[in-house]
Amino acid sequence: MESDLLLLESSTASADELHELIGWSLKPEGLCRDDVCVPVRERGALGDESALDLVALAGLLDRPAVSDESGLTAIGAPRARRRSAVVDLVAPDFSLPDLNGGVTALCDHRSKKRLLVAFSSW
Amino acid sequence: MAIDENTEAIRGFAEGIDFPVLMDADHLVTELYAISNVPTVVMIDENDRIVHPNWSAAGTDAYREFTGIDSNRQHDRIRAWVRTGATELSGDDIRAAVGDLSPEEETARLHFRIANELRHRGDEEGAARNYDRAGELAPHDWTIRRAILPLQGKDPFGENFMVLYNEAKAAGLPYHGVRGY
Repeated sequence: MESDLLLLESSTASADELHELIGWSLKPEGLCRDDVCVPVRERGALGDESALDLVALAGLLDRPAVSDESGLTAIGAPRARRRSAVVDLVAPDFSLPDLNGGVTALCDHRSKKRLLVAFSSW
Repeated sequence: MAIDENTEAIRGFAEGIDFPVLMDADHLVTELYAISNVPTVVMIDENDRIVHPNWSAAGTDAYREFTGIDSNRQHDRIRAWVRTGATELSGDDIRAAVGDLSPEEETARLHFRIANELRHRGDEEGAARNYDRAGELAPHDWTIRRAILPLQGKDPFGENFMVLYNEAKAAGLPYHGVRGY
């Protein structure tokens, strides 16, 4: 599964580094990952092959994205992941570090009832 | 699941708890589940169905003066679901209660993550710029406005809490989910 959250150092990337950064590559048939391609209607709007606009690319993947003047560019989860929760009522899987030094995923406890409790120290 | 990066503080809350306690420092789950405040509780059944939406059910009566809710009633609802699978809300109720994040609330989460990264790098000015932007975009989202306070060395309780509470109250206490009941 592609990473839900990305934090990139620049608002642009060359076509060569795109796959490593976001897991998708620009090909003649579109923006592609494995056998899946998303059509790119206006390739010019993505910018030069040496400096492709990452916010625009994220938009093609239906992921929110924003760039800060520091250059840092944050890309959020594909919106379909949240639609699963709020429209289809199917719990999107996720994994996070746990207090025991491991990683726990929702699906580690599949076929059981799970109570998610979001809390904080603030 | 702590919407927090303060692992030591969370360890204090987690003492004696034998189920997994997860650290969501980047607020991934608040984006995936449209969570806008804590506590928020979600019931997920054996088939991964969300059978009870985001719910501000409290573990204790610490905030009862604000919520007016007896936490025992909420614990009883959770116990009933665990035992029988019964909940009181339909799928339409659940969808209507939570709603999607607005584009602004979505973007606020991105600025929050950029701010955290800049703060970790020692760029306090860049962090403040992004925390401020996040707060402007999602003024009544507590996972943004209140979570930022300790990250900038401010007290999330007392007067700072009251300022946020009064702002939220004037806006009708917006929340992505069902309030305590």
